[in-house]
Amino acid sequence: MIAKKLTIGAPDGLHARPAGDLVKLVKSFPGTQVTMSTAVRSVNASSILSILSLALKKGTEVEIKAVGPDEEKALAEVTRFLESF
Amino acid sequence: MEGTLAIGKAWILHRKNETGQCSGRTLDEAFGHEASRLKEYIENGPAPEVFSAHLEILEDPLLHDTIQRNVAEGMTPAEAVKAAAKEISGMFNEVGDDYFKARIDDLRDVCEGIVEYLDETCGNPFENLPDDAVVVAQELFPSDTVKMDLGKVKAIVTRKGSTTSHVGIIARSRGIPFVPGADIDGITTGDLLLIDAGNSLVKINPTINEVEAFRNMMAKGNEVPETMIQSIRENGVKVLGNAGSIKDIEEAIRNGADGIGLFRTEFLFLDRDERPSEEDQYQIYKEAVEACQGRPLTIRTMDIGGDKPSPGLIIPKEDNPYLGMRGIRLSLSLPEIFKEQIRAILRASAHGKVRMMLPMVTRVEELIQAKELVEECDSSSDLEIGVMIETPAAALISDLLAEEADFFSIGTNDLTQYVMAADRGNASVSYLNDPLDEAVVRAVKIVVEAAHKKGIPVGVCGEAGSDPEVAKVLCELGVDSLSLGSPALIKELRPL
Repeated sequence: MIAKKLTIGAPDGLHARPAGDLVKLVKSFPGTQVTMSTAVRSVNASSILSILSLALKKGTEVEIKAVGPDEEKALAEVTRFLESF
Repeated sequence: MEGTLAIGKAWILHRKNETGQCSGRTLDEAFGHEASRLKEYIENGPAPEVFSAHLEILEDPLLHDTIQRNVAEGMTPAEAVKAAAKEISGMFNEVGDDYFKARIDDLRDVCEGIVEYLDETCGNPFENLPDDAVVVAQELFPSDTVKMDLGKVKAIVTRKGSTTSHVGIIARSRGIPFVPGADIDGITTGDLLLIDAGNSLVKINPTINEVEAFRNMMAKGNEVPETMIQSIRENGVKVLGNAGSIKDIEEAIRNGADGIGLFRTEFLFLDRDERPSEEDQYQIYKEAVEACQGRPLTIRTMDIGGDKPSPGLIIPKEDNPYLGMRGIRLSLSLPEIFKEQIRAILRASAHGKVRMMLPMVTRVEELIQAKELVEECDSSSDLEIGVMIETPAAALISDLLAEEADFFSIGTNDLTQYVMAADRGNASVSYLNDPLDEAVVRAVKIVVEAAHKKGIPVGVCGEAGSDPEVAKVLCELGVDSLSLGSPALIKELRPL
């Protein structure tokens, strides 16, 4: 398992559309489990409802974890996405 | 007596299947249908990005897992989807941000689309019910009695079920003759039927002479036997009403009931989207007290078990809910929720005479714990707190319960079922479901003696009290009140 922490920078936060894009990205690594954790809870990043329930606004700190065959690539791409959406 | 004899034309209920729930469409089909609908919106609709988020929700693994778990717990597909939507919405409760909170609406929208598709095949099987019908069915469910226009129903005949089932109770309270356990194979829609529910008789296509004789019998027979009226008057037994709604209370009081011996509160907790707040409950209880017009109102605390799903009360699936987490057991396991109900009852008690009654008690500790919770809610309360005697345990320790309780109320249906170890919905053991069986009579006797030794009143709130023979025995055993479901019977017994 590998992990990385980052802070949401987008002014609107991770709202429905980018959350949907994120889920599609995560699903493109079948077999690799990606989780996102905030101070509140830890959720499965392939579930849009779970991600939205984290209410990731600008400035929220989030930790990404990836486990599985593509964990490095998945973590890198998810991180890049969350830093740039 | 009203509610035993009837003449009418057979109307056979046809369902999509005989489980009482509509099947027809599967979850997979409903999800597939919703997906293609959303894809079409994405292509042609005004806001493709919204519907593409909806599509993502439709594929959400959390939603799927929650629905599958609900189905495994015994819910219908539509119920499972509704419950999942509610549970997942709960995750958004602590979210402070309005934008994210509003995503609940997206979830609801998707789930409602699925439920709508699942329910579409359902329809109302009673839609074409003719006037003066005798409803003939394999089995009826309480929800069926809501779907059918009871004003058109002359009688009900079913293969499964028993007179003490919920359908039986509802039929009795409406004065509709009900014959469960009947052989319905020879009946065709349109057949003329003579119904004698007291003797469990159904006569198919009688001769003109038979009809004539039956009409004469109806003219005489639909009267309360004089012996029942006598035994009630001679023993000074009060006649109370059983109620499951404000309307029931109003009717019982209008017909002369001395009060309400059983006000069921389950309707507040079942078939609703949300658990009622203390305030919601208070408003209803206050209305109930006022409807009693100064006569005492006995509020039974929630009598809910694993067989009745209720929002906000997660009860794990049980193999045998009648011996499981129900009644006072459930209430005490959820003290914060129970205290909401207690506070609402305490507040309502400021408006009239209110008594609180605990269902499914088996140990003195349960009563003591409930009293402590009342004390925590209001240390100066003088609310009367009584227990239902409906388990053999409660009957056997009724002397100990009498030390702590302000009154007893015997639930004859459940007491009979539990003493005789005979499921009251099972027609094949219905011969054991006899409230006049020696074992049940002895249990009642123990309870009445224990109550009177301590000087507390003991009533009966089971349907068996409506049976003239049973009522006579109960009066002779010394019960202080009979609480009855049928306003018509109350009227006969307490002429204004």
